[in-house]
Formats: sequence, structure tokens, C-alpha cells
Amino acid sequence: MEFLFGVMLPYTAFTVFVAGTVLRAAGWLKTPVPFQLTLFPVPGSIQGKIRSLALDFFFCASLFREDKALWLRVWLFHLSLGLIIAGHVAGIYYLREQFVLVGLAPGTSRLLSKLLGGTAGTAMVLSLGALIVGRIINPVVRKLSVPEDFFNLLLLSAIAASGIFLYLPVFHVDLPAVRSYMGGLVTFRPASLPQSPMFLVHFLLVNILLLYFPFSRLLHSVGYFVNRSVLLESPPTYPTKEGAAPRSAFASSGRHAGLHASGREPMDMGGNP
Amino acid sequence: MNPPFHLAKKEDLKHIGIGQVDDSAIKARTLKLMDEFRKFSRSFSAMLETCTRCGTCANACHSYLGTDDFNNIPAARAGYLRAIFTRYFTWYGRLFRRFSGAREFDDDTLCSLVSYFYQCNACRRCALYCPFGIDTAEIVLAGRNILTSLGLAPSFIVSIARNEILTGNNTGILKPAIIDSCSFLEEELRGETGLDIKIPVDKPDSEILYLPSSSELFTNVDTLMGAAKVFHHLGVDWTLSSVMLEAANYGLHFDLEILKKQNRRMRVAAAAVGARKVIQGECGHGWRVARMYSEGADGPVNFQLEHVLDFVAARLQRLSLSRLPIRATLHDSCNYGRGTGLLDSPRLLVRACVEEFVEMTPNRERNFCCGGGSGLLMDEMKDLRMQLGKMKAGQIKDLQPLDYVAAPCASCKAQLPLVLKHYGMGDTACGGVMDLLGRALVMDNERRIEGNATGNHVK
Ligand code: HEM
Ligand code: SF4
Ligand code: SF4
Repeated sequence: MEFLFGVMLPYTAFTVFVAGTVLRAAGWLKTPVPFQLTLFPVPGSIQGKIRSLALDFFFCASLFREDKALWLRVWLFHLSLGLIIAGHVAGIYYLREQFVLVGLAPGTSRLLSKLLGGTAGTAMVLSLGALIVGRIINPVVRKLSVPEDFFNLLLLSAIAASGIFLYLPVFHVDLPAVRSYMGGLVTFRPASLPQSPMFLVHFLLVNILLLYFPFSRLLHSVGYFVNRSVLLESPPTYPTKEGAAPRSAFASSGRHAGLHASGREPMDMGGNP
Repeated sequence: MNPPFHLAKKEDLKHIGIGQVDDSAIKARTLKLMDEFRKFSRSFSAMLETCTRCGTCANACHSYLGTDDFNNIPAARAGYLRAIFTRYFTWYGRLFRRFSGAREFDDDTLCSLVSYFYQCNACRRCALYCPFGIDTAEIVLAGRNILTSLGLAPSFIVSIARNEILTGNNTGILKPAIIDSCSFLEEELRGETGLDIKIPVDKPDSEILYLPSSSELFTNVDTLMGAAKVFHHLGVDWTLSSVMLEAANYGLHFDLEILKKQNRRMRVAAAAVGARKVIQGECGHGWRVARMYSEGADGPVNFQLEHVLDFVAARLQRLSLSRLPIRATLHDSCNYGRGTGLLDSPRLLVRACVEEFVEMTPNRERNFCCGGGSGLLMDEMKDLRMQLGKMKAGQIKDLQPLDYVAAPCASCKAQLPLVLKHYGMGDTACGGVMDLLGRALVMDNERRIEGNATGNHVK
């Protein structure tokens, strides 16, 4: 059991998460973009394009422009998610004493770390709750939704909630034990799982999320970059520069080149007498 | 199947190189075509696979806002294809069908695809709203390509595509008729200005090939006459071509092979008259195809390509204009605004031609589509098209009293007058930007004619 849940599962989940996400992204990226699909107006310079992507990445800027209420729920959720991921890495590695690095006393750092983690966790649960409610009360969005949409939100809520429960004295988890276990995983010298049922629930749910992520709509985190970069491409200029590589085989042979489904007959161009 | 338009007949499709598919083979063929498309174009699978069904795009779409039909919400429209894609091309969709929103391919799905892909004007406004940049127009056009290969396409679009293939223009006219019409317009111009203004056809060794909309030879004549006057005034060495009398390319609306063929024709036509530069006239989707698709569809382009509004705007200083005493607005064709970024020149020109220029809200790249885009101009869809024009009508109503809506796109020019009439604004005229320039331009040694200067033509 210990081996199955403490070793096999996390390594499998992590591998599936990384390989799955990379393969899905690679699948998109290796497909050509046969035509410029620029959505105007676009920034002309590389810096401008990166700026535009970054504004969307950090602040969901385009959602802010179109729907402020949804933006608030969504941004709060992603912000807390980002803080929590960063907090997990730093807090576990430094045993909550990461803020000593910026000059605080160890005791203060532990307190601040707990405070920040607790706040971000609560914000995450609340924003996820708001997202679920939003999906239900808006009739259009409810009709568009499929079960997966609710499952994603519930799974994340369960992860956040079980994480917050670890703060309660009854579910106390020994942080050094977590650190030696996680450290063991990272250095390929697996140590034993911490003895806390709530920690095991939390850990199991995260592994399910990792296993599930590459196949779910949560991949919007990657698809977002793929779509946006297509829309941000600069338009072509004419006459075409000498020696420019063709964008795709379509430019020379057409969409059906080498494919069999089309059943298309060659067309007579006709002429104008 | 009961789509809101007439489906093309077998023989008509055959003329443009499209075979029919047996009913029993439809599903297999559809899946095969989808598989082809996902290997063909990145946007197809990436945009099908990233939607989180957040609903933001609903408020973007004039088609949904005008028809109030849930299926016209961009995410619902693309959702039909998305559901099939999930079912047959993702393993979690195969395993967890209901959970993932996957859907079997059946007759119902096919009917919905045909019906709702042709209630989208491919205006791309939804791409502006979607937080992930999902361009539902891309999915719709890919879907229409697939339907076309199944032998399912509107009769109207097929007949125009056939005209393009056979004659190089949408109207389907041949060289003698082209020359006739042009001489007639030259007569008109002579009567109006007293000047010998030419509309040359196939003039060899021309510097510039001009591609108008063929409708300008018959219905939107003021646009072509305006262009001829301006070219004359600027001393431009230009010609029309009987090989390609048309900026339009209906291939964009339903079939990339036809887009490719018609686009290649532009090169043939330019070479035939020795033009180093091709200028496109007032045609929205035609300009998008020329500017954005030429290289991808047919490889390197060896001439310059410019839109007539940019060309004229860059030479505005050399035109002396007498402002028309009218209140006018500009309708940004979607293919100009979001599609090609042609935003400043049209405004600059309209402003220079009229006494009072007012902007619609929203405008520029956020403008609503008129409801006539992507080849939906068939008569049988008129009632539906009036619903598609509802948002546009509201925008124009807010500007009343208004004399003129400048809509430099042939499809908009076909749709907007009907919308204006339908929504009780029949007094507001609609036409091109070149039309205004033609009227406001003070020609050299011109005997100004009263009606011309007072804008009576316009009202
Ligand atoms: C580059 C990274 C990311 C970007 C730019 C991004 C952007 C967005 C945006 C704009 C939305 C709003 C659309 C909506 O409401 O559905 C959203 C929703 C959401 N995102 Fe992300 N996201 C990213 C990463 C992630 C990650 C890593 C996760 C989870 C592990 C995640 C989970 C969610 C969830 C659960 C929703 C709410 C979906 C709903 O409305 O039900 N996101 N994201
Ligand atoms: S392209 Fe325009 S008409 Fe089509 S779904 Fe998007 S907003 Fe609606
Ligand atoms: S805005 Fe984008 S992600 Fe949201 S429902 Fe529409 S297409 Fe899907």
C-alpha cells in the first residue's frame, strides 16, 4: 500500500502530467498555420506581442475588458492558485521559514506563511464557489456547461478544502515529515508517507488532478498561448520576400494533396473569351 | 434536412468539382475530413479543444443577440463540432461521453451543423471576446469546408463560386458585356464632368490592376465611377481585367480549393496586363483573402497589393474636396476591422468628404457585423438576415437623423439598405466611400453641376 500510494502513484501522476501536457501542446504546435489569422489590431513589435500575452497571462486582461464580474472570480482563483503553488514549494522546502531570507525572524516568518497560505486557500475556495454558482445561475452558461465543467471546479475545491483542513488541530500534519517525504520523491530516495489521513486525502486528490489535467479542459492554460499566438501573428507583406519558406503544403498542392477522403475532381479553370 | 436556405443540387456541385457522398458513407467521410482538417490547420484542433464554456462570447455575437437562438451562441455553434471532435478524436471523450459533452454523429447533428454554420457571418467578433482567443469563425469556415466536401452547400454560394471559376467574376459576365458597361459608365462620367474619364479594360502595360466588385458595373456604379474619377485626377495608369473583374473570392465562405483557384487568378490577371501593383476595391472578404490568404494559398506573390482606400488616403493631399452637406457615419466591415486592420483610411476619407462625421458605438474593431457577411445574401434568408442585422440597426438608430452610412464593402452594400428599410430608417442612404469621394472631388476644369455639390445624389 505504502509503495502504491507513496511511490508509484506520485511518479506516475507526475509523468502523465508532464508528458501528457507536452504531447498535447506539441500536437498543436507541429500542425501548420496555413494562413495568417491575425486578429487586428495587433502590436507590430515582438515586445508589444509579449506585452499583450503577459497582460492576459497575469491579469486576464481581455476577460477584464469584456466581463468584469466573471473576471473577478476567475482572476482571484488563478491568483490564489499561483500563490499556493509558489507557497507550497517555498513553505515546504524552508519549513515556512522562507521569509527569513528577506530579513524576518523565524517565528514571524512561520506566522506570515500560515497567514498567507490560509488567506490564499480561502480565496481559492471562495472563488471556486463563486465560479460554480455563476455557472448555475446564468441560464446561458448553465446550458452550455457539461458535467466536466462542474467536476473540474469541484475537484479543485476539494483539493483546496482538504488543504485548509490541514490547518485545523485535529487534522494536524507534521511539516518536517512532509518535507522529508517530498524531498525523498524529488531526489529519488522515497521516504515514508506522513501519518495524517487528511494529508493523504489532499495528496491523493492532487495526484488525480495531475493524472487528469492533460486530457481535460484545464489544458486551456496551454491552448490559450497557442490560440493567442496565432491571432497575434503579423500580417504578410507583399511582394513576398525572396526565399521565404512556404507556410504549408497547401500553397503548392492544396488541402487534399496525398489524402483520400476528398474525392474531388480536378476543376476546369475555364477562361474568359 | 431543413436548413434556412436552398441546398445546391448535385449537378451544380459537380460543375465546381464537388462530388456527392452516399448517405451511408456520410459519417465515415465526415470523420475522415475532420481528421484531415486537424492535421491541416493548427487553429482547428486548438480552438476546438480549449473552450471552457464560460459564455463570454454570447454577448459578442450579433447573430445570437439578433435571433435570440441559443444555438447561435458562438460556443454553442462551434459546440456541435466540438462535441463530435471530443467523441471521436480524444480518448477521454471516447471513454466518458456524457461527462465530457461528447456527442454521437447522427442526422440531427448534421442538420444542426448545416443550419447553424450558415447563420454565422464569420465576423470574428467572438474571437475578440473569448479569453482564450477562440475564433469561432475559423471553426465555422472549417466546418463549412467539411460540409461542402459532403455535398452540402447553399445553392446561392455555389452558383456564385461557379461564376467566379468560369468568368472570374461573381456576376458571370464576359468581356463584351464588361466593355459595354464600362463605356456606358464612361458616358455617364462625361455627362457629369465634361471630362474624358476612362474605365480601361485589359489595357496592356498598365501600372495598376484594379479589382472592384463586379456589382459596381450594375448596382453600385457610383463606387466604380468614384474610383475612376479619383484615378483620373491623380493620373493613375490603371486598368480593369476581364480575367478577373472581381475582388470577391467566395471560396473563403465554403471551400479552400476554390479560394486557392480564384486567388491564383489574381496573379494571372496581373501578369496579363503587366501590372506591378494590384489595388482592390470595396469588397470586405475579398480584401481579407487577398491580403491575408494570398501567400498561404498560392505561395509567393510578386507584386504589391494595396487597398484602394489606403491608396487614396495616402494621396489625400492631392485631392481638392468640397465637403458634402450631409451627416454620415462609417460602418467598419468586419473583414476590414478585425480581418485586415483597415481602420484609419476609411475614416480619414469619409471625414474629408462630409460636413458632419459621426462614429457608431461600438466602432472600429469592436463594430457589429451588418448581418450580410460570409455569403449569406441569398433571398430565402432575407427574414433571418434582418434578425442578423438587428444590432447594426440599433447602432444606426442611435445616430439618427443620419443621411448616409458609408459601407465600403459590396456585401454590406447589399445588406444594409434592406436593414435600414426593415427597421424604419429608409431615409438614410447607404453606399461606398469611393462614392462620396467621387461626389466631393472637385475635378480640374470641371463645370460643377448643382446637384453634385449639394449632395442631392446622396439623399
Ligand atoms: C497560463 C495559464 C492560465 C490562463 C491564462 C488561464 C486563464 C483562464 C481564464 C481566462 C479563465 C476564464 C474562463 C472561464 O471562466 O472558464 C479560466 C478559468 C479557469 N481556469 Fe484557468 N488559466 C490558466 C491556468 C489554469 C490552471 C493551471 C488551472 C488549474 C489547475 C486553471 C483552472 C481554471 C478553472 C477551474 C477555471 C474556471 C472554469 C469555469 O468557469 O468553470 N487555469 N482560466
Ligand atoms: S464569427 Fe460572428 S457571427 Fe460567427 S459566431 Fe462569432 S460573433 Fe457570431
Ligand atoms: S468565450 Fe471562448 S472559452 Fe468562453 S465559451 Fe466562448 S468560445 Fe468558449
